[in-house]
Amino acid sequence: MTGGIGESVRRPDGPAKVRGEFVYAGDLTADDVLVGVTVRSPHPHARITRIDTTAARATDGVHAVLTADDVPGDPWFGLTMRDEPVLAGDVVRYAGEPVVALAAVDAATARRAARAVVVEYEVLPAVTDPEVALTAPPLHPQAHPEGNVYRHVAYTCGDPDARGVVTVENTYRIGMQDPAFLAPEAGMATPLPGGGVLLEVATQWLHSDQQQVARALGLPPEQVEVRLAGVGGAFGGREDVTLHTHACLLALATGRPVRVEYTREESFLGHRQRHPGTIWLRHSADADGTIVAVEGRVLLDGGAYASTSPVVITNTVTLLQGPYRVPNGRFEGSSVRTHNPSCGAMRGFGVPQAAFAHEAQLDALAAALGLDPLEVRLRNALRRGDVATFGQTLDAPTPVREVIEGVRDLPLPTGPAKAPGGVGRAAEGGTVRRGVGYAVTIKNLAFSEGHTDESTATVSLRDGHATVHCACAEVGQGFVTVAEQIARTVLGATTVTVTQPDTLIASAGSTSASRQTMASGTAVHRACEVVRDRLLARVARAGDLDPATLSIAGTTVCAAGRPLTEVADAAPGHTVRATEHFAHPDTYPLGSTEGGMYVGFGFSAQRAVVDVDVDLGLVSVVQIASCQDVGTVVNPTQLLGQIEGGIVQGMGLALMEEVVVVDGLITNPHFEGYLIPTIVDAPEVVSTYVTDPEPGMPHGWKGVGEPPLCTAVPAVAAAVRAATGLPLPAVPIKPEHIALGLGSTPTVTWTTPRPAAPSSPGRAVVELDPTDRTGTWDAEGATGA
Amino acid sequence: MADVEFELTVDGTTSAVEAGFSESLLTVLRDRLGVRGPKVGCAHGRCGACAVSVTVPGEDAHVLCACLVPAAIVAGCAVSTIASINGPDGELSDVQEAFLAEGAVQCGICTAGFVTAATELLDTNPDPTREEIEGALYGNLCRCTGYGRIVAAVEAAAAGRREATS
Ligand code: FES
Ligand code: FES
Repeated sequence: MTGGIGESVRRPDGPAKVRGEFVYAGDLTADDVLVGVTVRSPHPHARITRIDTTAARATDGVHAVLTADDVPGDPWFGLTMRDEPVLAGDVVRYAGEPVVALAAVDAATARRAARAVVVEYEVLPAVTDPEVALTAPPLHPQAHPEGNVYRHVAYTCGDPDARGVVTVENTYRIGMQDPAFLAPEAGMATPLPGGGVLLEVATQWLHSDQQQVARALGLPPEQVEVRLAGVGGAFGGREDVTLHTHACLLALATGRPVRVEYTREESFLGHRQRHPGTIWLRHSADADGTIVAVEGRVLLDGGAYASTSPVVITNTVTLLQGPYRVPNGRFEGSSVRTHNPSCGAMRGFGVPQAAFAHEAQLDALAAALGLDPLEVRLRNALRRGDVATFGQTLDAPTPVREVIEGVRDLPLPTGPAKAPGGVGRAAEGGTVRRGVGYAVTIKNLAFSEGHTDESTATVSLRDGHATVHCACAEVGQGFVTVAEQIARTVLGATTVTVTQPDTLIASAGSTSASRQTMASGTAVHRACEVVRDRLLARVARAGDLDPATLSIAGTTVCAAGRPLTEVADAAPGHTVRATEHFAHPDTYPLGSTEGGMYVGFGFSAQRAVVDVDVDLGLVSVVQIASCQDVGTVVNPTQLLGQIEGGIVQGMGLALMEEVVVVDGLITNPHFEGYLIPTIVDAPEVVSTYVTDPEPGMPHGWKGVGEPPLCTAVPAVAAAVRAATGLPLPAVPIKPEHIALGLGSTPTVTWTTPRPAAPSSPGRAVVELDPTDRTGTWDAEGATGA
Repeated sequence: MADVEFELTVDGTTSAVEAGFSESLLTVLRDRLGVRGPKVGCAHGRCGACAVSVTVPGEDAHVLCACLVPAAIVAGCAVSTIASINGPDGELSDVQEAFLAEGAVQCGICTAGFVTAATELLDTNPDPTREEIEGALYGNLCRCTGYGRIVAAVEAAAAGRREATS
């Protein structure tokens, strides 16, 4: 059997990609195509006093100039809360907010016309400090009159006031990270006969786009057909609508196809970032390192519009416990509206923030007790059957001990490495010190808290050729390969075509949350099984055989284990077809007694080895060893690609990537100022796996895309701490943090042990009084400024 | 600024071009000539997605960022894009094969640039060290792969060339 599940099958779209022939969204064009551009607000908060488009309209070659008044349907859109205007009409709430969309014959004309648009603003004070926003009057009273908190979550478990002999606390800060996919947003809208529109766009979630665009256009969803255009990376940053509606509005207004492609700067301004946040954590433990209680508080800056802020905050707060047993705890957090850039999904979805903080705490605990950091982690490792702080029983494999042992046993790299600083190194430094750090994380997989996680696939088979149709967006991760592997293994197909995803089939949900192999892979698997059974039933009828004796091995139909015919010859000229749906078991909101919040979890451990030039503050990541819980290995090469890619994005957040926002303005919306790791920065990666099959999933597969990033952030930070002896409570760790020793040290208190009150219920309690706050914010120390 | 007229030879085909005085080679290739192998990642010389190989008459080929070079400057030069890279019979080149075999391609938006730069490296240095590979490719960004498979692909292609010549 070649090309099936478990093999390093090559990507079917690979040959076109290495030849430069693969068509990306930015490559789309059509006869008569117009180019759309967006006029954006330069202010983070202002009232629009006048929009004058006369000169723009009068520009030769301009075909449409649209403002908020030209939105025929719902003027508001958004993934969780419809709070964002399609085009701002009266108030702008972040710098970069779209105000006018226009289309012209070519890009130069469109840009000239955009400069001719006059927008006058009355600049208003911007609230850019999330701490201030918490209690400030509503920043967006129209959509959100209650205040600025997107969501507040709070719960306790056990007796939060229980104490061990030592208590360690600190405040941690995580910077804003940009998904920085390499192909900026692009798409093309084409009017359809009958008043509808076709949108070809680089996206992660076709059906969400369809719903949101249709609503704004005032059309029924079936009048908006969304088709995936070639996607150049996503990482969460394409989960929200950006240019989609503008392109469709312009196409319908002009009656011509309109293509829109963002510049890199617009890409920074236009899509959602990873939430920056501040996390206070207090861990109390016994002398042997056993965790007695954890208290935590999170504040995430959600920026101007909600996007997924109400969802992300729950991930951060509930996973503050890390992959550890925490019998007693008190957890609280908010995501809050400000006038900063909007934040939403990015690979890890709230968990890298939690992971950075809880892993720093575990190391601080180990240091305070004079214990080995791995020993402390092993002592507290979650096991199958344990109950998480948020009340969910971990009833699937929970190989925390196994992933830790998996990295512990790998040999350390030896010998000299390259000088820290890479190509950016401008001076000879002084002392270079090596550091080794560990991190272990838990990441929830798939949608959570009652958001249905489902997918649908149609598979047909004719003369051994399988065709797979599913709305799962291929963004680079390799679902197209996995779908092909499934069809080969289940159906014995000799060739497979995975068709371009569109909204003509039911939703596959978003390509996010490490979920598509589980959801769409399983839908494809089910459809393949039904097609196989139908084919075998047909063969049985034709040959008067008992269908129960028939099976497919490789590409051959077997009767009672003996070759009967090739799949390709089993039903000449006949197409066998099936559409199947898959949905994970239901999930429930935090605090529900009906069931768990999460579909499942993935666990990962990493060991980072770094060299630090302690005088210049420069870091070189020499090696990262990883051991990840992956269920089963579906495609070894693609799996390694997810691990390596995730690790390098995580080290980017740990060491160099930060969207710098000053008074609501991004000061580095370009690759000159926003540094993503280069080939020189990337470490050697050693990747090993724990394969304990996930129950309920074909072959026991599970999501793998996010854990590597979540773990790399704290692992790299731990290694730099080990090399420097500095507390480094903020990421990205900048050269000045190291060279000047900035950042507050964890506070260690020796406490009188106090066992948990026996009456304390072990179950989660939600919605504590929001004023019942724990701990103190120490933002100054946390930023290290 | 008035347009300028010049001839541009791209992948062996010479075309008359009328473009803005400072219009980049990348814009001319993509928007005027419909040559879309070179990609737009940043338009500021920071990502390498637009890499093409340019041969000035009488000199060696050089890989450069098409987004940084005004098209008019390379009038009279031979511009080779990813479309010119393949094996002798139009099949995939060894570098392209290695990129597929090693899993160096995910979303692929960076791939044309990497293949272009890696091909130039191996054409001039068939046995590069890890440092030399990094030195040749640090101008190319990849956000998906973390570079591990890309290094593996270049090393595999180099090993293949060594075997073929030994
Ligand atoms: S597009 Fe030319 S270097 Fe990025
Ligand atoms: S494969 Fe996506 S940027 Fe390199």
